[in-house]
Amino acid sequence: MPDGFEERDLVERAKQDPEAFGALYDRYFPQIYRFAYSRVRDQSLAEDVTSEVFFKALRNIKRYTYSGHPFSSWLYQITLNAVADHYRGLHGEVDLEEGSSLPSTAPAVVDEVVRRDRSRRIWAAIDQLPRQQRAAMVLKFSEDRKIEEIAQILGKSSGAVKLLLHRAVERLRRELPPEIEVGLT
Amino acid sequence: MMNDPELEELFGDPADRAVIDLLKASRPAAPPLDPHFRNYLRAKLMTQARQTLPARASRSWFPFTLSTKTLAPAMAAVAAGFLVVLGVEIYLHGQTEAPQVAYNITQIDKKTEVGTGEPIVIPFTGPVDKTAVAESVVMQPATAVTKTWVGQNLVIIPAHPLAANTAYSVSFKPLATPTATPAQNPVVRPTPAVAPTPVVVHFTTVRPPVPPVVPPSFKSAGVSYGYDSRLADPGTILSAAWTPAGQVLVTRPVGQLGPGSSPGPSASATPSGTPAPKATTDVWLMSSLGTPIRLLVPGGTFPAAAPSGGLIAAWQAAQGTQVNLGVWDLQGKIQTTVATVDGVPNRAPVWIGEDRIAYVDQGRLHVVDLHGTQVGGLALRVGNGRLAASPASPRLAVDAADGPVILDLRAIGSLTSLPSGAASFAWSSKGDLAFVVQRSASTDIKSANSDLYVATAGQPFQKVAISPDGQTWSDLSWSPDATSLLLATTATNGNGAGPGLVLVNRDGSSPTAFGPPSKEFASPQWSPSGDLVLFMRRDEAIGGRAFWTATATPSTDSAANRALAEVAKFMAARISGDGNAARAELDDAGLAAYQGGSSSLLGPGGVHFSRYYPVTVQPSGSKPNVFLVGVRIFSAKNGVESSFFEEQLTLVAQGQTYLIDAVNASPTLALGHGPTVVSVEVVQTPPGQQVRVHFDSDLTPGTITSDTIEVKDGDGKVVDANVTFDPDNHLATLAVKLRPGTYKLVVTTGVTDINGHGLAQEYDAPLVISG
Repeated sequence: MPDGFEERDLVERAKQDPEAFGALYDRYFPQIYRFAYSRVRDQSLAEDVTSEVFFKALRNIKRYTYSGHPFSSWLYQITLNAVADHYRGLHGEVDLEEGSSLPSTAPAVVDEVVRRDRSRRIWAAIDQLPRQQRAAMVLKFSEDRKIEEIAQILGKSSGAVKLLLHRAVERLRRELPPEIEVGLT
Repeated sequence: MMNDPELEELFGDPADRAVIDLLKASRPAAPPLDPHFRNYLRAKLMTQARQTLPARASRSWFPFTLSTKTLAPAMAAVAAGFLVVLGVEIYLHGQTEAPQVAYNITQIDKKTEVGTGEPIVIPFTGPVDKTAVAESVVMQPATAVTKTWVGQNLVIIPAHPLAANTAYSVSFKPLATPTATPAQNPVVRPTPAVAPTPVVVHFTTVRPPVPPVVPPSFKSAGVSYGYDSRLADPGTILSAAWTPAGQVLVTRPVGQLGPGSSPGPSASATPSGTPAPKATTDVWLMSSLGTPIRLLVPGGTFPAAAPSGGLIAAWQAAQGTQVNLGVWDLQGKIQTTVATVDGVPNRAPVWIGEDRIAYVDQGRLHVVDLHGTQVGGLALRVGNGRLAASPASPRLAVDAADGPVILDLRAIGSLTSLPSGAASFAWSSKGDLAFVVQRSASTDIKSANSDLYVATAGQPFQKVAISPDGQTWSDLSWSPDATSLLLATTATNGNGAGPGLVLVNRDGSSPTAFGPPSKEFASPQWSPSGDLVLFMRRDEAIGGRAFWTATATPSTDSAANRALAEVAKFMAARISGDGNAARAELDDAGLAAYQGGSSSLLGPGGVHFSRYYPVTVQPSGSKPNVFLVGVRIFSAKNGVESSFFEEQLTLVAQGQTYLIDAVNASPTLALGHGPTVVSVEVVQTPPGQQVRVHFDSDLTPGTITSDTIEVKDGDGKVVDANVTFDPDNHLATLAVKLRPGTYKLVVTTGVTDINGHGLAQEYDAPLVISG
């Protein structure tokens, strides 16, 4: 996690210096690509979304002002908008919850590692959650964002994010296969 | 386990908390990633960024002011230069220069402290002629390299880690793809293209720890944790282990970026028929800073490095559900396949010496030689625990189905039982075995903890320590000198300390926390040289589990350190040109030696010293409190090092400090004329010693012989020595048996690099063997 002052300095420099913008790209590409993929579950789409995010960031970076949240929050916001734009473009106002589904060939994992198998299954269950719950869960448990930051990214209050997380966990409890629950205890 | 106040506040129900714990312990699989996409997108972004972002104020191209007195001759020189340039221009008239391409060398040029295991990356923009550019690469000192392109980045990968303390240069020609030319008049001869001037990049590698006078001690209380750095993002490395040369062997999900990677999912080649299963992991070689060096085993998993380096064993997907156990070299070339099994085994193979490999298939232990011949007809039934082979003898610690045992392969069927529940086997370099036995909470003990056992080579095992209440120990790793064990702790209830790494002495004494606690630790491993620790850590800030390295500093002899500190002050003063400060480090005899011309204090004839490093540090055998320190001193011209010489400084303790009492200097040598000796180290290896001589170049192994590297006694007589060579470390080792006294190391000009260049001049260095 970059130091806040160092990040602010880098962002300020990136408003004028292409190399500093390149450094921001190097720093945030992995998490933005990962987040985009978690939303669209398709490599090609994730590449399109990631491209759009960084080009939008480049076009608008001069207008970015530090608000106390990490720079990545801004990139996550752009990512969510880019994903939404993409689905709107394809399907009109189709809700992501209906428009996305697990691909028939979910990413394989190393079957010999039980823990990773359990991980795959619980994340497959997260993929089935409603759109907002899924976004909150991914940001909290995959990207380790604070609730306040997630609220800013999703444009909701902290209380609303807590409610999303709570409902998501309740639903996972109900829908997890029994053998995973055995593994919990 | 949650350790997240936000979640603890939000989820009070234990059932919810159990789900949270599982979520915190899980991470989604790394998404598939085309390794070229990231570079492609970056290049596009940077092109647009350069067009849209305002340019920074540029510096004046000539940032100096000159007086008229200075300006007149300067103008004359410029005029003369203009005439020369004009002449060259006229000469070249009618020729065309080969098209060039933009490149960026700022990441590496004039950098110091460059890691020895780091590939050299040079980004290009524009239509680069990749083949021609790669073919033009030349590296000095002589270094065997492979060159590969990752997108628009030229990646130059040394075949072996670079030498430390060495100034390198890399030259290349920045050639663009030739543009198609319109049909030419056949009568007119095409004008010859002039190759562009090669670009030369200079950099200097890191200073390694100075060879210690007294071997460092890894006793738990004396080792300090330095700083840590993450090898890669969470989820992008699934397993990691050191190679004997100090690089890291990792398993990565397919599709990760790096030299030699392919955009598609990995799959092993299948001759015909059933397609290979879609592989999910690859085996890579990585630097200790986390730079991918090369893909070794596409579709591979569970790698294990051979004890002497150079080879690895790993599983690789084959036809259908079959999996091959193969052996590869560190260039990624398969050497042999020693076994084929059905279904991916659940653990790595284990090397037993250099020529046998143990593995578990269908719950049974097998041992094969490198021809694939089963050894000894074992087929012992085993459990899920760790297999571990002793580096000192052909013995294997096995979690057998009937209980843990030591299997002695010198006498098949010879089994020594270990305590029930023994796990986390670890063998030291000396053949000691350590393991833990976990104890569950019972009426005797309030909460689970662990018993630590150590069996000194050939002796019965003994319980040496019990973990504190509420803490369990696991994942043992011996320190390089076998004086302590590094292990991972886990809290079993709210009373114990948080998860962390702990060092405990081999006798169980002084368990000491090593580094900061975090949410979870696993798999700590000492690097072969003992300067780094590799481990897995999970923490909130970086988003999950990731492999890290941390620097570690064992305690060393304080007198030698004090002497070296004085040398450091002396040399810093000389490099900055501060004669008074330099003279303050000399006693009367030392001052007389410099004033008498034994060496130059601030550089002869206006030459300025640019850098130095200690080559040797030795206590004087005959005089107590006297150290002999060899320093190599470099001179630079225009920011580029051009020559060096060595001084042998004699430091004498005077009160609480050391002063320089005498100096002997070698002749000055130009850099870049054949290989040079980088350091010399004498290591006590009873009943004799090893003299270790490091070079800066890749050498022709056949030229490292007892005729080209010699140790001579005080009468000039060559002493018997067994000479071996380790190309991975540019290291010649002479095994000798020397009595206390002063000797001389001689490296002749017969030692040549891979380009056939010998040492520019014979190298001599004193060797002092203490009593």
